[in-house]
Amino acid sequence: MSSRARLYSTGIFALGIVAVGLGVSNPYEQQLLTIIGIHTLLALGLNMLMGYAGQISLGHAAFFGLGAYGTGIFTTHFQWSPWASLPVVLVTSCLVGYAIGRPILRLSGYYLAMGTLGLGIIAHVIFREWDTFTGGASGLVGIPPLVVGRLVLGLGRTGFFAVWATVVLFFVLCGRLVDSRIGRALRALGDSPGAAAASGIHTAHLKAVIFSFSAVMAALAGYLYAHLLGFISPSSFDFLMSIRMVTMVVIGGMASIWGSLLGASVITLLPEWLHVFSDYEMMAYGLILMVVMIFLPQGLTRGVLDAFQRARTLRGAASS
Amino acid sequence: MGTQKPFLAIDGVSKAFGGIQALYQVSFDVQERHIHALIGPNGAGKTTLFNVISGAFPPDEGSIRLDGTDIQGCPMHELVRLGIARTFQNVELFAGMSVLENVLVGCHSRTRCGLIGAMARWPWVVREERRARQRAMELLDMVGLADSAHKRAVDLPFGWQRLVEIARALAAEPKLLLLDEPAAGLNAVETEKLSRLIQHIRASGITVLLVEHDMNLTMDISDRIVVLDRGRKLAEGTPREIQSSDAVMEAYLGKKQ
Amino acid sequence: MSEFLQFLLTGITTGAIYGLIALGFNVLYNATDLINFAQGEFVMLGGLGFYTLGVVLGWPLGLSFAAAVAAVSLLGLLLERVALRPVKKPEPLPLIIITVGASIFLRGVAMRLWGKDPYSVPGLTASAEPVKVFGAAVMPQSLWIVGIVVAFMVGLHLFGKRTLTGKAMEACAIHRNAAWILGIPSDRMVLLAFAFSAGLGAVGGVIIAPITMCSYDMGTMLGLKGFCAAMLGGLGSHWGAAVGGVLLGVLESLAVGYFSSGIKDAVAFLVLLGILFVRPAGLLGASAVKRF
Ligand SMILES: Nc1ncnc2c1ncn2[C@@H]1O[C@H](COP(=O)(O)OP(=O)(O)OP(=O)(O)O)[C@@H](O)[C@H]1O
Ligand SMILES: [Mg+2]
Repeated sequence: MSSRARLYSTGIFALGIVAVGLGVSNPYEQQLLTIIGIHTLLALGLNMLMGYAGQISLGHAAFFGLGAYGTGIFTTHFQWSPWASLPVVLVTSCLVGYAIGRPILRLSGYYLAMGTLGLGIIAHVIFREWDTFTGGASGLVGIPPLVVGRLVLGLGRTGFFAVWATVVLFFVLCGRLVDSRIGRALRALGDSPGAAAASGIHTAHLKAVIFSFSAVMAALAGYLYAHLLGFISPSSFDFLMSIRMVTMVVIGGMASIWGSLLGASVITLLPEWLHVFSDYEMMAYGLILMVVMIFLPQGLTRGVLDAFQRARTLRGAASS
Repeated sequence: MGTQKPFLAIDGVSKAFGGIQALYQVSFDVQERHIHALIGPNGAGKTTLFNVISGAFPPDEGSIRLDGTDIQGCPMHELVRLGIARTFQNVELFAGMSVLENVLVGCHSRTRCGLIGAMARWPWVVREERRARQRAMELLDMVGLADSAHKRAVDLPFGWQRLVEIARALAAEPKLLLLDEPAAGLNAVETEKLSRLIQHIRASGITVLLVEHDMNLTMDISDRIVVLDRGRKLAEGTPREIQSSDAVMEAYLGKKQ
Repeated sequence: MSEFLQFLLTGITTGAIYGLIALGFNVLYNATDLINFAQGEFVMLGGLGFYTLGVVLGWPLGLSFAAAVAAVSLLGLLLERVALRPVKKPEPLPLIIITVGASIFLRGVAMRLWGKDPYSVPGLTASAEPVKVFGAAVMPQSLWIVGIVVAFMVGLHLFGKRTLTGKAMEACAIHRNAAWILGIPSDRMVLLAFAFSAGLGAVGGVIIAPITMCSYDMGTMLGLKGFCAAMLGGLGSHWGAAVGGVLLGVLESLAVGYFSSGIKDAVAFLVLLGILFVRPAGLLGASAVKRF
């Protein structure tokens, strides 16, 4: 996409968010939309790693949890202000992401999938078992909300705007990233690691850098999640959450910024819609995943665009 | 000219894959600003030698010196920075990218913008990007593909894809360019253009090491030729010497007659 | 000492199960290059199916065993036909998501059919009296487990080396198209591999059920551990699967015994990460790592 097109689309998107934020006043819907925003951050970060650089991670909930538990522990056990813990959490996740990414991304294929999956499970066990700090299986309560001046950010409209402003910011940042030297290097790496290295790209370093970047985004999402909800428990950061993140990326569309938004929305809303099926909810969820992947392996974004394209050519053929 | 210190010195390089001895004690020197050809029948080990020089894998034994420095064990990206760029026998373009973007990836080692810079878009980043695009367009112009800059690279005809690869390699501002069968898949007119392009590249100060099966092209433009056969160096000399060598005719050219 | 021995024996028992599940992963991986994330659900269905046939319907245990395994094998065939065959461009990531989808679906089905409660299942022999081995108590079921797993290992080895079908399967694994050109029905081999691998999972479910109880959500972790064991040994290597499985089982049991049961699930993956950092292709794997 040209940078002008990106600018316009992001502008329209931001206006849309303002409109939705002011228009929706049902607390349940506000909450749901806020969660979608947090999931969009998760999907976007992971998409940079998976969609662009072609490196799978089945354990990214670890970093989501690192952000949430990091700030949760600083603000409850040590009474830090949430604003003080923000930079610490982000820098920590950045360093941890790089330190783990460097060795783990030497793996590839199923070995990488399994290595990252293991990482996620180990992190989950730590969240669950280190109960002096994390509160164990029952979770961590009493995490203070973010306060801006006199405004207390909660799950309602204030939280909605905080989260979606962050999303817009990262849409801009990631859009710039994709169109840059680094973005091209990432796509080169995803396409053909050998040719990328032969073009002068330090692939091992680049992989770890983008892993670290996606870790920071996940940690930021976790940070927002913890402070908006005020309560976290290990089950929000388990293996299934990691899988859900991957699913958002793949269903929405790999290497597509808007796809991350779409994927996050679908995967977050799906269980809500499926509630009507009550006992059949899980079956329906699994079935939908399978059907989408069988028939639209490129993800919904590409699939829908292709369908439009076909419809247009058909109409063009019919009218001529 | 003849007694100059060699620009690239390959000394006793061997490489085996399991039971196959792909290279055995190969030694030769390449002079600066030469077009040096490497020929030999299929499976002679030419591509393997390219892989060793460009750092894809280390040799089992032997050493390689570029401009006097030992480049043994240097990772690939480091070698690109030192001035070695290459193309691939089975064109390896980035499928998801346009022609221009492919060449821009080639500029990677000569630009600096990092992750933060990319997101912040400092003024120097914008300037750097503009310069890189300009340079990439110049290179595309040089290989005659400026008009296709915004097409997807993999949609181009095969012969043109090779030219994109050459442009991408040149974007790294190499001192030594390794071309692996650049004429394969080109027609006579295109080959003629390629021959002029390679000479132009050499004239701009770049040393070229060329693997090529097209004998007319090779004999035409090379300063020196090394013949490999089953991993060993069979002969070395000027095109005229090689053409009149019986051993070479038998091992290689002989098949054609 | 006898405490250590006790942990060791418990570890070998669970390790054998992990090895069996890993074997299921390997059989499929060798024939199709695919990792089936629904493998754990086959284990669960094997266990629950055995419960329904053997306990609820009161069939003889041997018959229930065979019927449960056969039914799950059929399900494996069905999965290939319905969900994986229609994929036009089989790229790994969509395939992973499809099998993950299948696992969620199967878990949903099981929850609907059996509910959320765990069931206890009888062992293969009526006697529940533990046997004494050097002062450690061994359940008869453990002997069954180790015996059955060893039998399958040897059987699979002989099948691969001695029978034409086994060799054909191996040929498919090495080069699908070349095998097809030689007249090996690679298509049927893939189906066979699916059935076989699902069946192996179900056997694991039937024999582990008496030890752990079984419920609709028992499969996920078992599947992952089995996958872990397969990786530890090196994907595709049968002996690697056995070694990896037993190694995991023993370490896990020791960690639970000497530290706490909470860290059980982390042990397997800590070991895996440690080994992958040193040997990126597993203990017995070829040095080249398969790329996506
Ligand atoms: N990565 C590898 N693994 C195993 N064997 C290899 C590998 N690369 C090359 N070989 C073997 O080494 C020998 C030399 O191959 P190489 O590609 O260098 O030949 P070549 O001279 O480039 O031939 P061609 O003219 O066909 O390109 C061949 O027998 C080849 O099969
Ligand atoms: Mg070659």
